[in-house]
Amino acid sequence: MNGIARVARLHLVDRFSYTWLVWGVLSFVFVINAAIFAVIPLTQPSGNYTGALVTIYIFMGVIGVQAATKFLPFAFTLGVSRRTYYLGTVLLVLGLCLAYSVVLTALWWLEGQTNGWGLQLNFFRVPWLLDGPWFQVLTTTFALLSLLFLFGLWCGLICRRFALLGTLVFFGALTVVVVGAALIVTWQQAWPRVGDLLVNLNVLGASGLVALVGAVIALGGYGTIRRLTV
Amino acid sequence: MTPIVQIDHVTRRYRGMTALDDVSTALQANTITGLLGRNGAGKSTLMRIITGQEFMTTGSVLVDGQSPLENDAVLGRMLFVKESQIYPDIKVKRALEAASWFYPSWDHALAQELVADFELPVSRPIKKLSRGQHSAVGIVIGLAARAEITLFDEPYLGLDAVARQIFYDRLLADYAEHPRTVLLSTHLIDEVANLLEHVIVIDHGRIVADASADDLRGRAVTVNGRTGAVDEFLAHREVLHRQAIGSLASVVVTGPLDDLARARARDLNLDIGPVSLQEFIIRTSGDARERISA
Repeated sequence: MNGIARVARLHLVDRFSYTWLVWGVLSFVFVINAAIFAVIPLTQPSGNYTGALVTIYIFMGVIGVQAATKFLPFAFTLGVSRRTYYLGTVLLVLGLCLAYSVVLTALWWLEGQTNGWGLQLNFFRVPWLLDGPWFQVLTTTFALLSLLFLFGLWCGLICRRFALLGTLVFFGALTVVVVGAALIVTWQQAWPRVGDLLVNLNVLGASGLVALVGAVIALGGYGTIRRLTV
Repeated sequence: MTPIVQIDHVTRRYRGMTALDDVSTALQANTITGLLGRNGAGKSTLMRIITGQEFMTTGSVLVDGQSPLENDAVLGRMLFVKESQIYPDIKVKRALEAASWFYPSWDHALAQELVADFELPVSRPIKKLSRGQHSAVGIVIGLAARAEITLFDEPYLGLDAVARQIFYDRLLADYAEHPRTVLLSTHLIDEVANLLEHVIVIDHGRIVADASADDLRGRAVTVNGRTGAVDEFLAHREVLHRQAIGSLASVVVTGPLDDLARARARDLNLDIGPVSLQEFIIRTSGDARERISA
């Protein structure tokens, strides 16, 4: 077996958080939402909207943090290099996110077919973001899940490598970059143009943007693990 | 003898301390080598550098001619069980199963025998194990994998004397059938003395002895007898340790003694005895000696 695939398989030895935990929590959130919206009247003619799907995206970040170092000392013992551990973990990320996005897209489709589970509930359908033909929903879901997982992975590695202070500096720097970008856009009074750009982004542009952000995060994670000791 | 691990002028500095100071040594292929020394002497750091887990400040480590750092081809032939090895939160049997994927030479039958020997509860999560059982997991993995180069860093924390003896017996028996390179770091020097073919003693990040175990055993002897006779015998010899009880003295001196010296000792009615590996290391390692005599 290939070393990278072996690391992905190693992660799956402890699959509770990838299976029961993720889907259990999402099911729970769904049931609670369905119960609430079953009793309250429609807020909009097109149905009720909940932002609760964000749960699974937050979860991706959290299990990314966990996956960063959970098996790392054991993998080191078994003669796995940092590079192979990282690539194996990324393989796991992509595999899991593909499986998750297939399930989420199926639920998205089913929600549309059943008029929001008979409650006019929009749980899996998110306007603008998860809209359009099924393959678009599938790719968007896959891309977002993967980005959050990879970002969580990077955060986990930063925390392991640079401890609390380094993690704070990392998030501080990230905030400065985001706020700085926002300030520049505001200063240039360019928000309408940014909005236009995002709205008019075609599939190619969107994929390009996601790939760029993904590459930055993945390279950051790889650069961090290369100097990691346990 | 061909060295399978070649360590040249390795120095590792951390902020404000030097963990390894210009260390050069080699591990011979298919030999059991003991890495001995006090706490904080640099044993673990050296083992972590050999397995590419720690970075050196200067120097070079070659395993079978290649750098182990990020080198899967070399790392895959090694297995390093650490003191207080960290495992993911999984059951014992899952950890053993997962480890078997990484070593083509893994022996399932041997793993099962070892599990039985150590009475390991395979269905229990590793984090619920007792201290000794936790150590036993690492020993089972380390032995059953039959990795070409196996490193054990203080592998038996919390293991009782019976379990430690099982480890020694099993290691020796399996090593006889499947020769491989083993590096074992330990404090329990006398227990492993008979196991070791080669000994590296490290103190304050420096190598203080690097020799075959037999050679090292001859490097010091005790001389016991009446104080006057002992002093007469000792003129010009390097004294490592001295104890006096009444008119009797017991002195550890550097050896070996030649036939002439032994004959002279007999004339003076002195008793010459061997020095155990443990005592030799205590007498040659570090400040303790100076502090006691001061």
